[in-house]
Amino acid sequence: MSFTLSDAEIEAVILSLKISLVAVLVALPFAIAVAWLLSRHRFPGRSVLDAIVHMPLVLPPVVMGYLLLITFGARAPLGRWLLETFDIRLVFSWTGAALAAAIVTFPFQVRAIRLAMEAIDPGLTQAAETLGANAWDRFVSIILPLAAPGILAGAITAFAASLGEFGAIITFVSNIPGETRTLPLAIYTAIQTPGGEEAAARLAIMAITLAFAGLFLSEVAARKLRAIVGR
Amino acid sequence: MSITVRFRHDFPGFSLNAAFEAGSNGVTALFGPSGSGKTSCINVIAGLLSPAEGFVSIDGEILLDTEQGYNLPASRRRVGYVFQDARLFPHLTVSGNLDYAARRARPRPQSSERAAIIEMLGLGHLLDRHPRSLSGGEKQRVALGRALLTSPRVLLLDEPLAALDQGRKAEILPYLETLRDERRVPVIYVSHAIDEVARLADDIVLLNDGGVAAEGPVEEVLSRLDLFPLTGRFEAGAALRATVASQDAQTQMTEARFSGGSIWIPGLASEIGQPLRLRIRARDVMLARTAPDAISANNILAATITEFREEPGPYLDVRLACGDSFLLARITRMSRERLSLEPGDRVFAIIKSVSIERATSERTKA
Amino acid sequence: MVLGLTLTATVCRAAETVTVFAAASMTNAVEEVISRFEDNMPGGIRSSFAASSTLARQIEAGAPASVFISANSKWMDYLQDRGLINPGTRRNLASNRLVVIGARSETTLPINLGGTRPFAMLLGDRGRMAIGDPAHVPAGIYARQALEKLGLWKDVSNRLALTDNVRGALTLVARGETPVGIVYATDVALSDQVRVLTMLSPASHEAILYPVALVSGGETTSAREFLAFLTGLEGAAILRKHGFEEADGL
Repeated sequence: MSFTLSDAEIEAVILSLKISLVAVLVALPFAIAVAWLLSRHRFPGRSVLDAIVHMPLVLPPVVMGYLLLITFGARAPLGRWLLETFDIRLVFSWTGAALAAAIVTFPFQVRAIRLAMEAIDPGLTQAAETLGANAWDRFVSIILPLAAPGILAGAITAFAASLGEFGAIITFVSNIPGETRTLPLAIYTAIQTPGGEEAAARLAIMAITLAFAGLFLSEVAARKLRAIVGR
Repeated sequence: MSITVRFRHDFPGFSLNAAFEAGSNGVTALFGPSGSGKTSCINVIAGLLSPAEGFVSIDGEILLDTEQGYNLPASRRRVGYVFQDARLFPHLTVSGNLDYAARRARPRPQSSERAAIIEMLGLGHLLDRHPRSLSGGEKQRVALGRALLTSPRVLLLDEPLAALDQGRKAEILPYLETLRDERRVPVIYVSHAIDEVARLADDIVLLNDGGVAAEGPVEEVLSRLDLFPLTGRFEAGAALRATVASQDAQTQMTEARFSGGSIWIPGLASEIGQPLRLRIRARDVMLARTAPDAISANNILAATITEFREEPGPYLDVRLACGDSFLLARITRMSRERLSLEPGDRVFAIIKSVSIERATSERTKA
Repeated sequence: MVLGLTLTATVCRAAETVTVFAAASMTNAVEEVISRFEDNMPGGIRSSFAASSTLARQIEAGAPASVFISANSKWMDYLQDRGLINPGTRRNLASNRLVVIGARSETTLPINLGGTRPFAMLLGDRGRMAIGDPAHVPAGIYARQALEKLGLWKDVSNRLALTDNVRGALTLVARGETPVGIVYATDVALSDQVRVLTMLSPASHEAILYPVALVSGGETTSAREFLAFLTGLEGAAILRKHGFEEADGL
């Protein structure tokens, strides 16, 4: 078996990395905001928000893809509005794939960040308050730095999960080489193609390698961050 | 500089209704048993607790007035708060913690001010360290410095020594004394330890049973017999203000003079004329009808019995007037009967050991 | 539960269940054949519809099929080469035609395949053409052949939306995600959201044949009876009704 990746395979790897990176980064500020909301505050509708955030964990990915389709498809209200107003088309496009990955991996980020925030001693924010820090100041100068290891852990977990996302992507944006054919979709296609077993094997090895690299990086980064943050 | 506080707040299990004035004299202690609401009082002043009803003002500026619906957020009150557990930010160095406060202070403290505080609290060699590598005492000093760097109008200390062992406490107390003597900031000091209060406070507010039991200068309140259950029966005693009158280099003894006479104390490194605060525990005071002669105690003071405090059991507490000051003595009922002591009797108070706290009295009577 | 399953399996085997693996494009037709067959001769018939490529792989991996209907000869050859079907039972069941479809709701001018860039207007700047993946879906393979024959492949090859089976392409056009697609003539009847824009000449691609055969080891009496029914007069009538055309023998 040859270990050189074909152009199509390299394209799939790069596309996977691009989509996953964008998905995680775009979701991150929302994940931080939602985690913050859920971690310390009581407000009407809180448990509803909690449930919605965690839905992608329990719903089959294909259902997520389907929900995205009926929201952002060409005939759907939001999809049509996006197309007409901004000329933005999510179906068949890597941006749609990134959106699908972002939504499906959102709960991973929220959970990790929320855990980190809840572990912060509330006495510290009280102390900051007496030192003259208002709510936003406390969030930026105390909460975010102390939650940083959790934020990073959540982001890397979400990144790794995005790399592997299949059902939502293929249902929502289809399997377009160069646009939405990520590693898992490329493996799927290779398996279906006669003589594609070698390609499938190569791609699978790539996927495993990336997953390991991601886990390793996350451990190193988390350790470094914990040291800085003083835990 | 005066701080006016009054509020009412209901907690599960008890209701707190407090009203007091503080600050005109330097250090005001908030004293009372655990659970009496001392910390809640300073939390109300700081704005960390919003009571059901309340009013707080510092020097005329209103921080809280529930009737008017006015509640200045804690971050704008310019109140320095030292917590029992220091609460230093783990992701910043000591220097970073100090700067955190300085940067948010209005007005910003000058760098000379920052240097002076670091010097006063002995933080110079700690600046690059992280809180987790500091001892309990070091953490509290940093917390003190941090609170001071907010240019506070009042400093609130919540049992700052409670989490420390004896050695660390002894290490920090001098810093607190220096703080009291050298800074112009009024201090409200929460404590349930009577010796800390006696050593540091000028005024005291006694809390008990959901309200203020007494307030006033510390010598007066601590010597009140009716407050004994609160002021700590075993540790009860008088607080006297005296001045260093002379030093005997040969015997290494110091003479402290007050309105009722002189008291000799084992050598203090103090200058003549320096004000002192003495604490004399009631159980260390003996009474005699006649001045004893060949006795080792160096301090024999003439005093008049003003009142007794009876209680079930063998003990009896006696309040004595000695000059303009008051002394307390704890004797047995047996002794009273044997000597036939009555209020008004002239007796001699014999004091063997004395606990000394130093104090300068540059307290500006504002 | 395991006991229950094995019991059921034994009972079914006793009644000789026929398992039919059929290409997705034949779903409605074959389902009707099955229900008609079950009227005459009750027995158990199970069916599975998917892309021919998927089914072939499953049979290769040992799936318990009795009858295999493929949407092109290639996959049947694939299995025959591996001795997985009974060559004596193989015959061409039907044939089909390719059509170009568009959304019914759009008013589009008819397409002249002979003209220059006939799909330019439909595709516009961003539009895509939906076809089955030519790497493995028969309808896609035929579509590519036709487009290449017409010299249009280079133009559209980077404007495609590839689906895993032909019904996927149909759905994309029906939903309006793609303005145009290429599917079987028999698929058009499945959706009232699409209409035929033009038919592709059978000469432009390999003959679209639907071979059928019994899977090796699945030649039970019931299976043979079903095959006879499928390839007989009644079966042919049902297929015709669904739009399939006759195939010439083998």
